[in-house]
Amino acid sequence: MPLNFRFDRIRSTSFGVGHEDDEADSFSLVPVDAEVQNALAEMAQGTWEAIQGLDIDGTEYQPSEKYGSQEYVFLPLASDLAARLRQLHEAANMELNAQALSHPASLFCYFASFLDQSDNRLTAVRRATQFKGIVKSRLVQFITDSMKLVEDDTFKLDRDFDMLIDSERVHILRPSGFEAIGQLQEAICAAVPANILEIGREMEFVDFASIGEYAQRHPRAARYLASIRAQRETQNISPNLLTAACRKYAIQFQQTNGRIVVMPGSEMEFLNVLDRRMYELELVEGRPERYRASSRQRLGN
Amino acid sequence: MNSARNHEGLKSARFIMVLSSISPLFILWAVRGSKLIPNAYFVGACVLLVIFPNAFLFLRRWAAKKQNDTREIVIGKAEDHRDHLLVYLFAMLLPFYTTSLADWREFSATLVAVCFIIFLFWNLNLHYMNVLFAAMGYRIFTVYPPEDKNPLSGKQSIVVITRRATMFPGQRIVPYRLSNSVYWEVG
Repeated sequence: MPLNFRFDRIRSTSFGVGHEDDEADSFSLVPVDAEVQNALAEMAQGTWEAIQGLDIDGTEYQPSEKYGSQEYVFLPLASDLAARLRQLHEAANMELNAQALSHPASLFCYFASFLDQSDNRLTAVRRATQFKGIVKSRLVQFITDSMKLVEDDTFKLDRDFDMLIDSERVHILRPSGFEAIGQLQEAICAAVPANILEIGREMEFVDFASIGEYAQRHPRAARYLASIRAQRETQNISPNLLTAACRKYAIQFQQTNGRIVVMPGSEMEFLNVLDRRMYELELVEGRPERYRASSRQRLGN
Repeated sequence: MNSARNHEGLKSARFIMVLSSISPLFILWAVRGSKLIPNAYFVGACVLLVIFPNAFLFLRRWAAKKQNDTREIVIGKAEDHRDHLLVYLFAMLLPFYTTSLADWREFSATLVAVCFIIFLFWNLNLHYMNVLFAAMGYRIFTVYPPEDKNPLSGKQSIVVITRRATMFPGQRIVPYRLSNSVYWEVG
């Protein structure tokens, strides 16, 4: 998948940090010199090379999936799940604050924003771990042939970023970093009523009230709901096939006024079915085996 | 999400740039002279007050270029404020020029008034008000950010010193930073 940005034609580089404040999180730009700008550009390019080294095409991010520490997944920039990062990428004339690094413990991320000669913008974001942690330890530095303590506050940039954002997509190298910075958990839980409404509209033969209540209390179920809605595969589900699948996988439900009502305790299994995570294999004749997939990938069409 | 506080920064630089902006007054004083202070000291002080701040201004611009201290600015609305120079000329230069420096009380009062003006220019971020920019063919625009409802977008207006005749909404420019509110587009 191509990146809508030219690293060899960078026109401007800005650096910024995200703070956890008492009231709300805030972002601000911090002036950096030419050497740091070059280092940031190298980090961003290294991130893109790492992404290409993993999987050139990548797969679309799904909140219900469990990802490894480094996997190339992407998300359309217009997605609701990318709302916070879209704001960061599209922010114009962000506040400049040279004092933003005065309280390193409150930093939760740092980012670089690049503009190329064609006015394409690229935003690279990294969760602050080393960057804020390094000030807690004392550094040593070789000056001439003796080791000396560095007493100044020192910030250490990482080797690469967690994600790159261009005009169309969020290209994610570390899904955990994306989820933390994008505040996915909060966004997904907040989106439960909207997701229930949307899925319920397409599956009027299911009473989603109890599932909605369950998802409000269980973040994993909220993630499944977000994933089911994002897949846009609920529209043509057959009521008969769904009830058959429920019976097959021992999901407790009853039918009231022609609608499927999932019984307490079976909500998660029901969401597993809708999220296409239940499957059966029969490799030994007469002994079908049923499994629940913690991760799955669609094959063919 | 964005802090409403204005972290202006570069306070010393802004102060020296204010001195640079009132350097025409020191030139006028140097030409007029004063009966209270020997010419060698008075004119010397005025010359220093002209050379040092302007040298600093160009040093700041040189440092910004060397460090590639640029920032992408998106134009929401831009207003050409060349007329501010007229206000500056009539509100400051002419009144102070006509002030008598013949006795110590007048002289002290004038110095105090200049200090007030310097503080106001510094505090109100009017350090871009400089006849030198106009002489070099630059225009001064006040640029407002786009109204995009993005909580992370800046809310403060900034000043851009540029040779452009116009700026239009949505245009992206990459000027050098003189201070957090004043930017210089070279070329």
